[in-house]
Amino acid sequence: MAASGRHVGHYIQRNGRFLRVNLEGLWSNRSFGWTSALQQQAPEVKKDASESIVIPRKKTWNKIAVLEALASTVDRDPTAYPYQFQDDPYLSPRTSSEFKLFSLSQESGRSAAKFFVDSNPKFFTKDFAEPHIPCLMPESVSLRLEEVSEEALRERISLRKVTAAVDMYDQLLQAGTAVSMETTHDLLDLICLYCDRNPVQEGGPQAEEAEEAGEETKGRRGRTRRDIPKTPWKENNNAERIFNLLPERDSRCYSALIRGMVKHGAYAKAFSLYTDLLNDRLTGDVHLFNALILAAPELREKYNEKWELISELLNQMSQQKVHPDLLTFNSVLKALRRCGYVAKTKALSTLNEMKAVGISPSLATYDHILAAFYKSASSGPSNTEILLEVLTELEGTRLTCQDPDDVLFFSSAMRICLDGKDLELGYKVQNLLEVGDNWRLLGDSYQQSIYYGRFFNLLCMMEHIDVVLEWYRKIIPSRYYPNPQGMKDLLQALDTDSRLDMLPTIWKDIKSLGHDNKPDLVEELLALMAREEHSPEVQESFAACALNVKSVCDGRLSTEWSASALSHITTLLLRANKTQEAWEVLLVFKAKNRVPSEELLNSFLSACHSRGDSQGAVELVQLSAAFCLPATSGLASRALADFHLTEEQRAALSELEVAVESSDPKNQQEN
Amino acid sequence: MNQFISRTTIVARNRVLYVHESFLSSNCDNVFRTLNKVGLKTFCTNSVRLCEKKDNAGTSIDSQTKLPEQKEEQRVLKTEDRGTADRQADDNSKQLLAKSQQPKVDTGKSEKENLLDLLGAMKVEVTNKRKLKTMKRQQSIESAAQYKSKPADMESTISMFQKATEEASSQSETLSPDLVAAASAAAATLPNRSRAESELLRQLRERKTLTEAQKRGDMNNIGVIIADMKVGKNSNRQNAWPSDQIRFDEDGRGYTHDRGITGELAGVRKRRNLFQAKRLNIFSPGTEEDGIKAALAKPTLWDMEFAHQLCQSTNQMPRNGFEEMIQWTEEGKLWQYPINNEIGLEEEASVPFHEHIFLDKHLEQGFPQHGPVRHFMELVVAGLSRNPYLTVKQKKEHIDWFRDYFHHKEDVLNEADVYLT
Repeated sequence: MAASGRHVGHYIQRNGRFLRVNLEGLWSNRSFGWTSALQQQAPEVKKDASESIVIPRKKTWNKIAVLEALASTVDRDPTAYPYQFQDDPYLSPRTSSEFKLFSLSQESGRSAAKFFVDSNPKFFTKDFAEPHIPCLMPESVSLRLEEVSEEALRERISLRKVTAAVDMYDQLLQAGTAVSMETTHDLLDLICLYCDRNPVQEGGPQAEEAEEAGEETKGRRGRTRRDIPKTPWKENNNAERIFNLLPERDSRCYSALIRGMVKHGAYAKAFSLYTDLLNDRLTGDVHLFNALILAAPELREKYNEKWELISELLNQMSQQKVHPDLLTFNSVLKALRRCGYVAKTKALSTLNEMKAVGISPSLATYDHILAAFYKSASSGPSNTEILLEVLTELEGTRLTCQDPDDVLFFSSAMRICLDGKDLELGYKVQNLLEVGDNWRLLGDSYQQSIYYGRFFNLLCMMEHIDVVLEWYRKIIPSRYYPNPQGMKDLLQALDTDSRLDMLPTIWKDIKSLGHDNKPDLVEELLALMAREEHSPEVQESFAACALNVKSVCDGRLSTEWSASALSHITTLLLRANKTQEAWEVLLVFKAKNRVPSEELLNSFLSACHSRGDSQGAVELVQLSAAFCLPATSGLASRALADFHLTEEQRAALSELEVAVESSDPKNQQEN
Repeated sequence: MNQFISRTTIVARNRVLYVHESFLSSNCDNVFRTLNKVGLKTFCTNSVRLCEKKDNAGTSIDSQTKLPEQKEEQRVLKTEDRGTADRQADDNSKQLLAKSQQPKVDTGKSEKENLLDLLGAMKVEVTNKRKLKTMKRQQSIESAAQYKSKPADMESTISMFQKATEEASSQSETLSPDLVAAASAAAATLPNRSRAESELLRQLRERKTLTEAQKRGDMNNIGVIIADMKVGKNSNRQNAWPSDQIRFDEDGRGYTHDRGITGELAGVRKRRNLFQAKRLNIFSPGTEEDGIKAALAKPTLWDMEFAHQLCQSTNQMPRNGFEEMIQWTEEGKLWQYPINNEIGLEEEASVPFHEHIFLDKHLEQGFPQHGPVRHFMELVVAGLSRNPYLTVKQKKEHIDWFRDYFHHKEDVLNEADVYLT
């Protein structure tokens, strides 16, 4: 009744909307009619005067507009594998490690092919495509110009061959040829960017590729590694040598060097070079200042001094009429993260400075601000409040990536929600993520898994189980492969809202996620199933599940059965009246040198009793005696009292009863 | 627990509260009498209890409530009390969800001792996450609606309450009605509404009592208070979420912040805009020219590297076939939409079609007017005019080649007498 009432309400609501839409349509038609009539009247008046006809402008479509429109009609299918894996059924990832492996192998296959094509252009000369498709043809990666000339130097620079370019430059200098300023700039840029080392060839063979992949998967760890320069800046390397040889230096040369030094960790050197620049009465450019601001916290010890250095740099920027950009402010905020308590006061004023200058903040800006207010141990109210502010500010906006750090925002925002146990805020973050193409800002698969892991953890903690399961089906495993801890969270949520009947399905998921080899997770599952008695159907499914658990774990060689896991399985089987299977599990106890509890044996005996299985009872008591359990005599006497036994059985049992009694009189007293 | 206490102390210190002399009197009768004298502006601990006795019939204070006080006055007191509780709630907004058990007050003791007992018996209950959620949901409902939904017997209270609020607002401290709304909203979500509400308010009031006690110099007694205080936790799993006092959760995530109703209300009030802080005042807004200048500059290697980095960080695999096609289009592998047959023929776009077809004019110079060569060339031109695969330039080159060829062979042709000019 209630349901039907709700249906009626639903229909009314829907129809109401339909009606309203129609009415709105009518209204807009009407108003449109008016305006067109007005427009018709207007030209009539004009007609005599000029007779001008305004031809509407041709609408030009972007080449991908049609495809974008089509793509927006496709919804995500939570039951399907990611699109990249749909071609090949062999490449269907079920766990996060498989996902990593498959996507990386796909990528590396592509890179290998590209590398082969590029390094053997003579085999790929035929151009089938009409019109010509440049990206299908081999790129030239080898040097063609051999003579000593500026042209050859340019070629080496464009192919990013650092050492070859430096050699060529030296040869040119020895030959007495002057190299143009522009080429020198490019050369310095190249050397500083790659720190006087040949860069990793894109699509190059083995090691480099693996390293890049490692960075991608390691994510956050990779990020810290990215911040710490891999190759330190060497004293008097080629960049500095060439720089010192230059007859005249302009600010671009300085900028290239300073950026290179900051990028590769020579912070103090960068600042001394900046003083040289000022002594030469030159002005820096914005990139130079951005680099210096990032380096500023490295040079000072105290938080106050760090900030003073940053603000001094900013003041110099404004004196030198250098206009700041988004990256300037992001660098300031990033540097502020290392300024301790100063950050709280200065972060917001920096944000307002941005606003005053007319630069709209990116996600990285907000990420840095959140970090400034974030203190993991004692999150006061301010932290979530700031996040709330940020989210109200951002609500419904379509974001674009403007800073490589933008991709860190979502996962850190979700961490704040999780730490504050703030479900509402978590939903707000998720909503922001679902706007437009914002999902692209979630970063690589590692960042994604962090984000969804936190979100799911928050849901399990705070949300009602039905909603949790809805999300579970939505994001797992199409977007997120939960780790064992995530599955435990889910189990706890099921327990809290007493939906333990879901456990067999969850077990299937655990299996497919490859977590069935985690003993603690399996044990927790079994314990939850065995803890209470349920309705017969549920018990039936639990027993089936327990058998499945057992067979899966037996299939593995290294399984170490714990006594509690085995007794949980036995209990579950007994509750579902699967005495035979339960007996087999009891034998496993013996085989694995585990000792069953007295309680378990008693309940087994009761199960035998209810089935009238006297032989089983005798065997049980014999098994118990084989374990040398103190409870044996009790079991034996219970079996003697309760069962209809043959003479032989009776004799065997009473023997056992007496044997244990004599060996352990204390036990007898207890019984 | 220590944190809880210290916070309370802080609250107490921060807050300047109105303490009436009458409160010091040891006899509750006196309290009521003074109350009558002073009017409605006094805060009274006992008054609410008068109205909530149904749950606590056994407490000694009940016997006092049965003293010949007029019913109306009780009501007034109750509503007044709510008004004061309201004020109290300003401070203790976060504590709203904590409920205390009914304290036992002995008449024989002094008022100060009463306070201590009161606190000693205080038991902070815990609430579970679902309750919290329902509260959050309910909170959006207008407080007015909440009042309307109450039973009729509450209505008189409400009118009194409004009156009391008006009176109370004339005091040194003004009250915010949304706090009371929050209290009743919270109470409305609990099963026993009126009881829960009164419990909430009592808790607030007790807080105030503590405040006053400490204000009067009872600070040295805080140790006793702490010693006597006991925090009960329900063993029921449903109540697994401590709402207030100690918020170090089992998962060790640290001190967590409850965003209950009051927290949210406080947030609304205290709401600090991100963009209201002072700016650094270093830069002046830039002009358009800067941007244009930057855009005109040739991209350096650094710019390319930065773009590559951006692209790498956002690079996501296509989610469906269309997105893959977008990717291919951008790489130039796919025919572009909308379909255009002349794609890739950009260099020919400016050439009109007659240039392709009427090629006779190229035969005007350098070729004989008659004869087999002319005939041959006319056939060549006819063929070229039907060839869609060559550009006009290529066609001209083709004709030029023949012109050169025949010029070179001019001697031979003249001998054969076929080259006629």
